[in-house]
Amino acid sequence: MEKVIEIMNLTKSYGNGRGIYDINLDIFKGDIFGFLGPNGAGKTTAMKIMTGLIRPEHGDVKILGYSVTEEYEKAMAKVGCLIEIAESYHYMSAFDNLKQLARYYPGVDHKRIDEVLELTGMLKFKNEKSKKFSLGMKQRLGLAAAVLSRPQVVILDEPLNGLDVEGMIDIRKMIQHLAEKEQTTFFISSHLIHDVELTCNRIGVIYNGKILNVESTKTILKNYATLENYFVSEVERNGRVSSSAN
Amino acid sequence: MAVFRAALINELEKLYKKKKVLVAVLLSLAVIVIGQLVIVGVRSGFGLRGTGSVEFPMLVLSVVVNTILPLFTALVAIDSFSGEFTQNSMRITLTRPVSRFKVYTAKITSIVLFIMGALLLLLVFSLLAGFIFNTNSATLDSLGRTVFSYLVSLFPLTVLALAIALLANIFKSGIAVFFVSILAFLVLKVLGLLFSQYSSLFLTTQLEWYNLFLVNSFPLLKILRQFLIMLGSAIMLFTAGFYIFDKKEF
Repeated sequence: MEKVIEIMNLTKSYGNGRGIYDINLDIFKGDIFGFLGPNGAGKTTAMKIMTGLIRPEHGDVKILGYSVTEEYEKAMAKVGCLIEIAESYHYMSAFDNLKQLARYYPGVDHKRIDEVLELTGMLKFKNEKSKKFSLGMKQRLGLAAAVLSRPQVVILDEPLNGLDVEGMIDIRKMIQHLAEKEQTTFFISSHLIHDVELTCNRIGVIYNGKILNVESTKTILKNYATLENYFVSEVERNGRVSSSAN
Repeated sequence: MAVFRAALINELEKLYKKKKVLVAVLLSLAVIVIGQLVIVGVRSGFGLRGTGSVEFPMLVLSVVVNTILPLFTALVAIDSFSGEFTQNSMRITLTRPVSRFKVYTAKITSIVLFIMGALLLLLVFSLLAGFIFNTNSATLDSLGRTVFSYLVSLFPLTVLALAIALLANIFKSGIAVFFVSILAFLVLKVLGLLFSQYSSLFLTTQLEWYNLFLVNSFPLLKILRQFLIMLGSAIMLFTAGFYIFDKKEF
């Protein structure tokens, strides 16, 4: 199977002791990879390095064979992402925000912009300035921006943040549809175990900056009944002192 | 090149949408109108000839190059960098397939184009005001000198923009950058007066380098020296600013 994302010995530490240490991961074409971990585990740090927002101390990330640290433009040419909070230019409408991004991708025209706005339920707000948007609307706009260029790889950090129930279902369906029909690879981080269980086909657990295990969702559910049981078991097996029951 | 062009168009669109262009146009108009009214007032009140039709633009240049043009430059440079840092909107561009070098260069280029637009606007408005109110002293040669003076003033203002961009990447807050810029400007102005033998090294003196081109003896060596000092400063400021921008974590 074709390797789409290769994370090799990735290390980045902060002054407060948190960070990521020696992360190694391979993500294959068509995967919907769930990056599961508690708050402060290092999920966002890893994703920021993957998208060039932070530089690692050691290691590298290759996307579609190109190094993010050395061949950034080539690595990101077929990548869409949403990291932390979905940002937009408040003084521009939803349409104008996406038009700004569209300029970097040949073949993305106004029709495509309308298409992704429709996909994320934002078409009726296309001419409204984004400063008037609620959190959920900004998140939908961010997701529209992530899939605008028909990317081969989509990196999403907490994509369901702020969405209503319908929104969560719609986005989950969109992810599954794109992965199945267009072989788009998704790398999704979340601390919402239930959504990860429903959406992802492979799960990587990160805790205290280290990868504990990587397994397919099918195998996990066969052995542990729920993803939550698997997560708790992995964390306790790898040295956490007390569980939430105590 | 296509990627750089996309980044540049985006930066210019942002300037336009944020209404900075409108503010620049209105302020420029206000300066010209007020200046011309003062001159007309002096002429009709005291019977004194204020300025001729092409002297008025030179008078405007001598005033604006030390006041509103550095202010415009600071406004746009701080907004382009500090404004996006504080609003976290720098990430929007930095997660696209464009290198940080192209993003930084596009931002600087858009600021320079804005300054050039402001200079041309001031030139056109002041020429018009000069012709309307004082029609008797225009010559092609003096018109040419006026246009040239405005155009060469772009170079020291570019160096100023690079300096403010560097400050914007050092300090977190846009207000801190603004105050440090004003303080540095005033300090350099005073130093230029106190140590006049070294004044050609200071950016604040270089803002008036267009005067060297108007001297009849055309001091080529002086002009070359000023040009090289500004070029060297520009290269150092660009490199330092880009280095800090490139290392930033978002």
